[in-house]
Amino acid sequence: MVELTDIQNTSLRQEITEYVEKVNERQHLIQLYSKARPDLQDIAAAIVAGDHETVDRLTEKALQEEIQALEVMDDGLIAGMALVGIKFRENFIFVPEVLACARAMKAGMKHIEPILSASGIKPVGKVIMGTVKGDLHDIGKNLCIMMLRGAGFEVIDLGVDTSSDDFIDAVEEYEAPIVGMSALLTTTMPNMGKTIEAFIDADLRDDVKFMVGGAPVTPAFADDMGADAYGDSAVECVDIAKRFVATADS
Amino acid sequence: MDKIDPEEYEKRVARITSLFSDIVKHSETQSLTRCPYKNKDDRCTASFGCRYKSPIKSDESLPQCDSDDLLDYRSAWDTHPESYEKMRQQLQETNLNPDDPRITSAGTVSTVHKTLPAKVGKTLFDYADDFQLSVPSSCGRMGQCHECIIEITEGMESLCPKAETEAFLSESFRLACQSSVQHSDKNICFSVLSRSPQILTATQTATLDRDPTVIRKGNDVYYQDELIDQFRGGIFGLAIDLGTSTIVMELVNLQSCEAIYTCSFENPQRFGGSDVMNRISYDAGPFRGKLHRVLINTLNDKIFHIAEQTQIDRRMIYEIVLVGNPTMRDLFFNLDVQSIGQRPYKSSMEHAFLEGKRTTTAITSLTRKLRLAVNKNARVFGAPIIASHVGGDIVADLVTLDLAVQTGTVMLVDVGTNTEVVLKSGNRMVTASCPAGPAFEGGLVTFGMPGYEGAIESITYQEDQLTYQTIGDVKPTGICGSGLIDLLATLRRSEQMTPMGVFADKAQAFTVVPEPRITLSREDASHLAQAKAANYCGQYILMRSLGVTPESIDKLYLAGGFANYVDPESAIAIGFLAPVDTERIIKVGNSASQGAKELLLSQKKRQDIEKVIAQIEHIELETTADFFEIFVDGCQFKPMQFV
Repeated sequence: MVELTDIQNTSLRQEITEYVEKVNERQHLIQLYSKARPDLQDIAAAIVAGDHETVDRLTEKALQEEIQALEVMDDGLIAGMALVGIKFRENFIFVPEVLACARAMKAGMKHIEPILSASGIKPVGKVIMGTVKGDLHDIGKNLCIMMLRGAGFEVIDLGVDTSSDDFIDAVEEYEAPIVGMSALLTTTMPNMGKTIEAFIDADLRDDVKFMVGGAPVTPAFADDMGADAYGDSAVECVDIAKRFVATADS
Repeated sequence: MDKIDPEEYEKRVARITSLFSDIVKHSETQSLTRCPYKNKDDRCTASFGCRYKSPIKSDESLPQCDSDDLLDYRSAWDTHPESYEKMRQQLQETNLNPDDPRITSAGTVSTVHKTLPAKVGKTLFDYADDFQLSVPSSCGRMGQCHECIIEITEGMESLCPKAETEAFLSESFRLACQSSVQHSDKNICFSVLSRSPQILTATQTATLDRDPTVIRKGNDVYYQDELIDQFRGGIFGLAIDLGTSTIVMELVNLQSCEAIYTCSFENPQRFGGSDVMNRISYDAGPFRGKLHRVLINTLNDKIFHIAEQTQIDRRMIYEIVLVGNPTMRDLFFNLDVQSIGQRPYKSSMEHAFLEGKRTTTAITSLTRKLRLAVNKNARVFGAPIIASHVGGDIVADLVTLDLAVQTGTVMLVDVGTNTEVVLKSGNRMVTASCPAGPAFEGGLVTFGMPGYEGAIESITYQEDQLTYQTIGDVKPTGICGSGLIDLLATLRRSEQMTPMGVFADKAQAFTVVPEPRITLSREDASHLAQAKAANYCGQYILMRSLGVTPESIDKLYLAGGFANYVDPESAIAIGFLAPVDTERIIKVGNSASQGAKELLLSQKKRQDIEKVIAQIEHIELETTADFFEIFVDGCQFKPMQFV
């Protein structure tokens, strides 16, 4: 039977000791980490620490040393993210920390993407995401981006305070067929409508699908603005994006 | 590097999506009480302004968040809260056609003593606002927090159909924010759950041993040997008596050992049943976990309320002590309660203890795991239970009454939705639990009600005239437990009812008050008989098991809910209480709450009471050979007979 001490990475041992209380979860993680190569344990630890630079460096190194990409994902990236999920659920860490860990995961996946392409695996779709002009709230958008990337989408994040021109430029540059807009202020919600109108003026409206979200936004409002879909959670955002891709292919 | 198999990759994508989904769902709950831009070090990661952002010091990279999470954090951001409301109202109104003839209505919406015309589209939460009723909500009335549960007493058909988020509510219960008027031609009546029942809060003022778990050392706050916080100006604890029908919460200053604030309210789990067995069944159904969630939400709401009333920062609350029967306690800790509902009726903690896997049935946990709105390093101590249905509340009674050291023969009867009895004689202690049911607390009896304003609490017969007193001295609306006991005793004394519950003239009902009409029917009497029989059996069987007669009882402690208002003579006359000399009957009010406070303030008492618990024998009433005969005897409204 494997023990905590069979895990070579000290930081992972500490994390499990301090933060994982359920016996079955402890056992599961001990099994998982102890059988992983030390190099991949280090990646998992860096994910838990939200250290994207280390994850970047170590993932690149692991792949160069010819460790299989799926193994790197399983024992490094996903293994780390599982512990992050537990810590978050038990309220030891909060959304900002989780987003940092997701960023670290993205840094690792960056090195795996070329291998996916070479294997004929393409991204599910391409999405431009941004919070509208005048609005600086980004957590909802960031959680959606996390879920989209996790589901295999390529996401271009335009950040906050995004103008109509910024959206148009991004769509043209990346040839993205899906645009997601977020707004948290009732005063900035109308900018969603303005952006969609700008796309109509630029003759680009038929090339993209718009999905919108944010606390004060409602399906009725989304309809009035001319959006194609409204989502009330990050999980729904992924479903909508998948639907858009499916209808585009048909 | 080998190519990646697309199918294998898909499995990883599914796994990641599942992990992230759980994270997103949890973030929705977490952000109900904590700003999501606040990181684990209480620093702000938002790029917009907020009035709680402190200026950045030169050696820091992120500003401190000075919010104590008392307010809805969204209102502190640089946003325009008024425009939210306007926008929401506008959207609601546009759904309604002003030419709709149903708008001028014949029907009304009312609650106790207040009425307004019914208007299609208006939610019952809006009506509650108009009626100035306090209804809790922490999700901005979006149907997510489930705190605004109300009971519809009339006109359920006139409301819009239940939303998906209301699926966990049965029959007459709805969420105030989701139920809007759909047909305005008939009347709708609703009642808000927490009223202000006449509930006992602790009355004993014994001197207390002081040895709390949380102390201050200089600028540090310690939980036993662990440093948990920097001193914030005070150290407080909460003592909670988690009753099936009623909850009492007290805020205690752990430095001065004084109770500062007390509040009592209806247990919000009533939508899952009024007694323990019904709630266990509910929790086995598709809405497992709902009872736990609703309870925690209500407790948090009260914690916010207490903090506001006392102007004390919630983060200065470092320990919670919780006493309650095993089902209530385990639901609080979100444990599986099914084993309590099936033979041998023991909780999972008791099973584990008996199997040697635990050294105590007490539960200590971090409040953080239960998402309670107190200091993030605070602990909650769930008092140990005795056995089966006899739980932490009786343990608390024993702590405060110091039953173990008393000489002579002593009996404790704790009356409530469940009645528990403890009997000490010589060096033996026995206990039993009697599921009395809600009859004496307002359930099942036509005009029965809890101890709220308008309840008849005492009845006497003077010169052939029935006289009564109501709580609050207002017009009567019903009869509460103590009133029912008086009524039954009065009917027996004046020979207007036989011991079997048959009225004189074989009438179907007895009129207590002619106007407004309040009656007691034969069926009501039957329900009360069964509830009383449970109490009877508990006391009778325990006394018999130790060879104790009523005359040999030196003290009978009467504790719990409505017990303080019960007239002992009446109770003895109908066989509700053993016929002990009334001078030896001592009413101790809500001793469970008092005991909870003592446990909060003394670790030694927690250890000492474990030794007492170990000596108590639990007697299972149902396995007593002649239980049925005794129960049948107990159903009769006459004093207990000991041959």
